[in-house]
Amino acid sequence: MLKSPDWHLLIVWYFFLGGIAGGAYFTAAIADNFGSPKDKSVFRVGYVLALLLVSVCGILLILDLGTPSRFLNMLMNFKFWDPMSIGAWMLGLFGAFAFASSVLSFVAGPGMAGLRRRLSLIGTIAGFFIAAYTGVLLSATALPFWREARLMGALFLASGASTGMAAIALLLYLFGESTGEGYKKVKRADRYAIMFEIVLLAAFLALLGGAALPIVSGHLAPLFWGGLVVVGLLIPLVLEVSGLSLPGVVPAALVLVGGFILRYVIVMANA
Amino acid sequence: MARTLAMFTDTSLCIGCRACQVACKEWNELPSEQPEWTGSYQNHSTFTDKTYRLVRFIEKPQANGELSWLLMSDVCKHCAQAGCLEACPTGAIHRTEYGTVNINQDVCNGCRYCVSSCPFGVVSFNHDTGRANKCTFCNDRIHNGLGPACAKTCPTESIQFGFRDELVTKADKRLATLKGMGYTDAQLYGADSNGPLGGLNAFFLLLDKPATYALPEKPARPQRNVIVDSLLSVGSALLVGVGALLAFRQRGGPDGRDEKRDGDTKDGGHA
Repeated sequence: MLKSPDWHLLIVWYFFLGGIAGGAYFTAAIADNFGSPKDKSVFRVGYVLALLLVSVCGILLILDLGTPSRFLNMLMNFKFWDPMSIGAWMLGLFGAFAFASSVLSFVAGPGMAGLRRRLSLIGTIAGFFIAAYTGVLLSATALPFWREARLMGALFLASGASTGMAAIALLLYLFGESTGEGYKKVKRADRYAIMFEIVLLAAFLALLGGAALPIVSGHLAPLFWGGLVVVGLLIPLVLEVSGLSLPGVVPAALVLVGGFILRYVIVMANA
Repeated sequence: MARTLAMFTDTSLCIGCRACQVACKEWNELPSEQPEWTGSYQNHSTFTDKTYRLVRFIEKPQANGELSWLLMSDVCKHCAQAGCLEACPTGAIHRTEYGTVNINQDVCNGCRYCVSSCPFGVVSFNHDTGRANKCTFCNDRIHNGLGPACAKTCPTESIQFGFRDELVTKADKRLATLKGMGYTDAQLYGADSNGPLGGLNAFFLLLDKPATYALPEKPARPQRNVIVDSLLSVGSALLVGVGALLAFRQRGGPDGRDEKRDGDTKDGGHA
């Protein structure tokens, strides 16, 4: 009787890339504020990646409306208690932060570094918001499974942080920066994030109990258990911890695959 | 605000003629749809973007093994606390001066959040216009002193239109009569303005449990989850932040910090 909003791949991609954008910005801000000068490549990559992805996110959302110009209707209104309304505004705000931080990470001048650092600490709040609110948006609907999922926002945030770190690691590797100390730190941070996400996912499922059936059994189950739990979380963690001689980029790529599958199975559970 | 208007659907009087369904289509100029075989006389199985009134045919096994029909002319409930209205990011979904809930078609941008936020599966997405549709409570008619088309047409007065307080009094009397006749399971659904969703402005007299009619026993505002889920997300953000700090922190305490500041100055000079 209840109706699906028919959100499909555009929304899955948005949730996935929005998570990476928020996570990458947050990682960059931490590297910028609390890392060493050698971490410069980390925060540059992080800020610019966030900027590029947040732009793609905006395009995905506008495309999903069918008639692109109607996105303006979203900006004629503001409801602070409504995830969709506040999310649309925060996406714009986060885009502004990502733009300013990206520019400041390439501009030299007195006080620029300090300004960039302070700005990034505030921008991180917007970044975290973009990574997490999509989960809260789903849990604030009338649909089964989504409405029972109290930890959906928390889980999306952890996944956003982890995939953001993985994306930075992947890019550093591709740019030939994989020998630097920044790369190692991002990998270490991602290791913690993966562990946290595994714990959170276990709590998520435990709290849901039978309400999790649409993802833990049925046609989405192979993707959930195989794609997310094994390929996207456990294998990357084992690879990271065991220090096998595989290129460090392999676990990062798997984490990204897992992050996409997480959004996919959850959105498609009510499609 | 004017006195709240309501519709009272007394299912004990419904004969399943579907005149309401037809009158609704006629007045609102809703095109016909391909009928579907549902295994019973009911068509369609749910509300659609072109069907705002829907007569449900529920087959109920009797003690003697035969089936009897429960009939119910279903419609948008125009909830006093409407999930769709709260979810709508554009403000297209609004409350009229009569207490009914309407979608302003010019403002709706097709995000479909309302579709997933209706606890009754009423709001439907219209793929032709790219906008959400549902019962308008015949807004144009009630502004001109006419009742909604469905109520006007109903030959048995199963659907009654009027001021909410007067209809509730009527409904209470009718319920007492039916109870006296031996309909022990008869009950009002949505009449109590202190009940779930603050009461429904289209409320019902049912002859059985709400579940028999596939109605939720205790419908709830989807938005009730926003605060808890947001706080849990903030907790997740803090834990993720601690992990990243551990990975990126400068070793060597205050000295390390000084080294970093020096490095920054140098950076600024070179860039």
